[in-house]
Amino acid sequence: MRNLVINGKTHEYDGAASRTLADVLRNEFGLHGVRVSCSEGECGSCTVLIDGQPVTSCLVLVDQAEDRDIQTIEGLGTLDDLHPIQQAFIEEQGFQCAFCTPGFIMSAKAFLEENPDPTPEEAAIGMSGNICRCGAYPYIVKAVLNAAAKLREQGGRRRAAE
Amino acid sequence: MGSHRSYSVVGKGVPVKDAREKVTGALKFAVDLTVQNMAFGKILRSPHPHARIKRIDVSRAEALPGVYGVLTHEDTPRLDWEAAWFNYRGKVLDGVARFVGDDVAAVAARTEAIAEQALELIDIEWERLPHVLDMEEARKPDAPQIRDEGNERPPYIVEWGDVSEGKAEADIIVDCDITFESQQYAPLGRNAAIAEWLGDKVTLWTSSQTPSELRDGIHEALGIPLSKIRVMALPAGSSFGQWWSNNFMLIAVLLAKKAGRPVKVELSNEECMVTVKRRHIERTRGRMGCTKDGRLTLAEFDHLIDNGGYGFKDDVGFFCVDMWGRANHGHYAVHGINTNRLTAGCMRGVGDCTLGAAVERLADRLAEKVGMDPVEFRLLNQIRPGDRLRMQHSKHNMKCSMEEYIAAIPEELQARWPRLFHLSSGGTAEILSKGADAFNWRARWKGWGQPHTIDGPKRRAVGVGTGAHVCGVEFEGSTSAVVRINPDGSAKVHCSVGRQGQGSETTQSQVAAEALGIPFDMVEIETGDTDSCPWSHGSLASNTMYRVGWATHAASMDARRQLLAIAAREFFDGADIDELDITEGYIHPDGHPDSNRRVSITQVMHELRSDTLGQTSSITGRPAEPMPPATTFARQFGAQFAEVEVDVETGQIKLLDYLACQDSGTVMNPQVLKNQVIGGAICGSGFAIYEHLVFDEETGAIKNGNLLDYKLLRAADFPWNARVMFCEDYDPVGPFGARGAGESPIAAGISAVCQAVYNAIGVWVDMPMTPERVVRALGKV
Repeated sequence: MRNLVINGKTHEYDGAASRTLADVLRNEFGLHGVRVSCSEGECGSCTVLIDGQPVTSCLVLVDQAEDRDIQTIEGLGTLDDLHPIQQAFIEEQGFQCAFCTPGFIMSAKAFLEENPDPTPEEAAIGMSGNICRCGAYPYIVKAVLNAAAKLREQGGRRRAAE
Repeated sequence: MGSHRSYSVVGKGVPVKDAREKVTGALKFAVDLTVQNMAFGKILRSPHPHARIKRIDVSRAEALPGVYGVLTHEDTPRLDWEAAWFNYRGKVLDGVARFVGDDVAAVAARTEAIAEQALELIDIEWERLPHVLDMEEARKPDAPQIRDEGNERPPYIVEWGDVSEGKAEADIIVDCDITFESQQYAPLGRNAAIAEWLGDKVTLWTSSQTPSELRDGIHEALGIPLSKIRVMALPAGSSFGQWWSNNFMLIAVLLAKKAGRPVKVELSNEECMVTVKRRHIERTRGRMGCTKDGRLTLAEFDHLIDNGGYGFKDDVGFFCVDMWGRANHGHYAVHGINTNRLTAGCMRGVGDCTLGAAVERLADRLAEKVGMDPVEFRLLNQIRPGDRLRMQHSKHNMKCSMEEYIAAIPEELQARWPRLFHLSSGGTAEILSKGADAFNWRARWKGWGQPHTIDGPKRRAVGVGTGAHVCGVEFEGSTSAVVRINPDGSAKVHCSVGRQGQGSETTQSQVAAEALGIPFDMVEIETGDTDSCPWSHGSLASNTMYRVGWATHAASMDARRQLLAIAAREFFDGADIDELDITEGYIHPDGHPDSNRRVSITQVMHELRSDTLGQTSSITGRPAEPMPPATTFARQFGAQFAEVEVDVETGQIKLLDYLACQDSGTVMNPQVLKNQVIGGAICGSGFAIYEHLVFDEETGAIKNGNLLDYKLLRAADFPWNARVMFCEDYDPVGPFGARGAGESPIAAGISAVCQAVYNAIGVWVDMPMTPERVVRALGKV
């Protein structure tokens, strides 16, 4: 039996240790926002955060994620209460088919924690670990810049309130 | 409807209907769906490029615990089925493998692992057949024959004038022999098909752009009535023509019947890339000629496309013919040829990305010889509204001449339609002129083969390209839609176009909301269920905004007329319905939205209810007449401007700056259209500079069928500040003047990048312009 901490809640998992984290998140916990495409860490669709670091969950064994803080798109915002990054992706329409979008948003979250005020060029490079076959890249970059501004403003308000 | 009124939702950048689902990951694709008691299906694939099954023994597979059924060609009906636009023609399984990876048999089991294990227990004695990979070899009379119909059928020919006169009139003639490699759809979104039988009725859930065509395909392949088939199309991820009706979906249907329970067949990413379809390899030989002042006199092309094992395409999709149709003399022959490679089909911009790119290159070479700027050469020679269209009808569907076709149409309809076989609206003149100004083209263009900057081994230059495509085609059926007004004043649109990410559920809702006078948020749409949606061609051939939009508009107007007739009778003293209008859900005298006589749609619907003893409470609208034949007058146009940097030492190409101009008539939703245009530019740029499938020279097996080895552009590879510009030449038929959009941008992008590279290094490079090819073209290796 293993403990998996997914989106802040601890779950018990008693399946095989050799399954990938993406497989377990999708098929044991029904987290279909974790999208699986290439299964070789190339496309970034299955990106989740482990202890805040972005990983392609198709290459992580569930064993490696035990007792660590796993965050998926489902833990970020909900249909009725969006996270600022999700709101920014809607405002800039940084997607078309959106198969890749949860992966991009999770990558953006980690990227913006490292670099809260990126240049457009930095944002473009920061988003280059993920593939968008529809080619929404310019609007993804704008969404990341928009999200950065929203998060800075939010941080500023929070600091002002403290 | 009051024409004085400005639009309430047309042209507005409303967020797409499913935006929240998309950013939260809640959107469900077919891979995300399960049904109760479901088995998992896996497909056995051919290791041989061409072979016949002499004997197949599935007894060991069937005996494996957890296996529910094995499907072979022996269980498969002897019926051919056909996908839209001849992207597949054949049986579901017929005991012959026509490429490495072809479908051979399938297993349904309790788990995927058991199904995979069972595949290995299927024992096949193969008879190897001679195979052929090269198109030219496959045309020879003694070539191995891949299909009963032969490897090649008579070509599709478009001709006008007399090419020998065109040659005589020309002062300059250039010719070409160009081969472009095959692009892969390379979808990120994998696909799955789940089939469930209930008695003699079947339901299929899958990601598809063409739900109606898929239902028809099941009907053809199984010989069961259309009424017993329900397709529920789910969103498709980055499809671009890949997920229409595909053979694996029909395998799921047959396998579920064999297994006696629902079956899900999910394709791996590699299966998506090596077993479904791809863009054609093409070879273009031809010549173009012009006078010394740059007027085209001649366009003569012979175009080969490789259809692989099951493709059957040799016509349509070549609207570059019209683009350059001002030449007085033309002859285009398109030959579709079967080979023992993966099936090829319609990928975004089919024809206009391959033949179109070859024609653009020849036009550029002519312009260079007469010393004209590429923008000026295009302005002089490209199509304008009212010009004759050269493309005619699909030879497979129309058995008559253009004149006979026109003669068969009632005069009363012809009087209302645009002039057939002439361009109704749009063209490249405005997008080229405005685009050239916005890009500062005249300052940045330094002449043919001339970079504007040389920095060590780096050469920077600009290029321009144009692309055209159709706005839907009518030959496979009449696209329809149904619009219902509910008793609470909300409305529902039913049109079977599927959802592939281009925002059609949003733009169709905008059309309906505008036509009905109902708030956009009160209009919802069903696009995937063939039981509730009337037949539609689907979202292919840039059909959606134009033809489906026309049907949605016509259905909305029909519902609106019914609603207004009741309102006029019950609330407006029998007024003529033309004296009424609807705004934000209220019916009012035309021109007076705030009149104190206004009544809500809900009030009017209540009258309908009492009229019919409470038995009917909704209004259903449908198009009252067939759609005018779009192919005979409507086109979309793109003109794109690119700046590139080429390193002549390494062959590396970088995209530095980009402007994409688009004429798709009225813009229904600017943000949706921007994404379509830039997405096309990026897919075209990727094809131009490195996307290509690598085939094993001996077997034709695809060697880079995965996203690690098949390289796609990423965010840092394309200018983040690329600009989009629209010119909106109002179309007389499209909904609120809109036309199609999705496919001209990719064609324009390819040509812009190819020309920019030529201008940087002074040598034309065939696509894909990989570093190796660039360096070779420069004679450095």
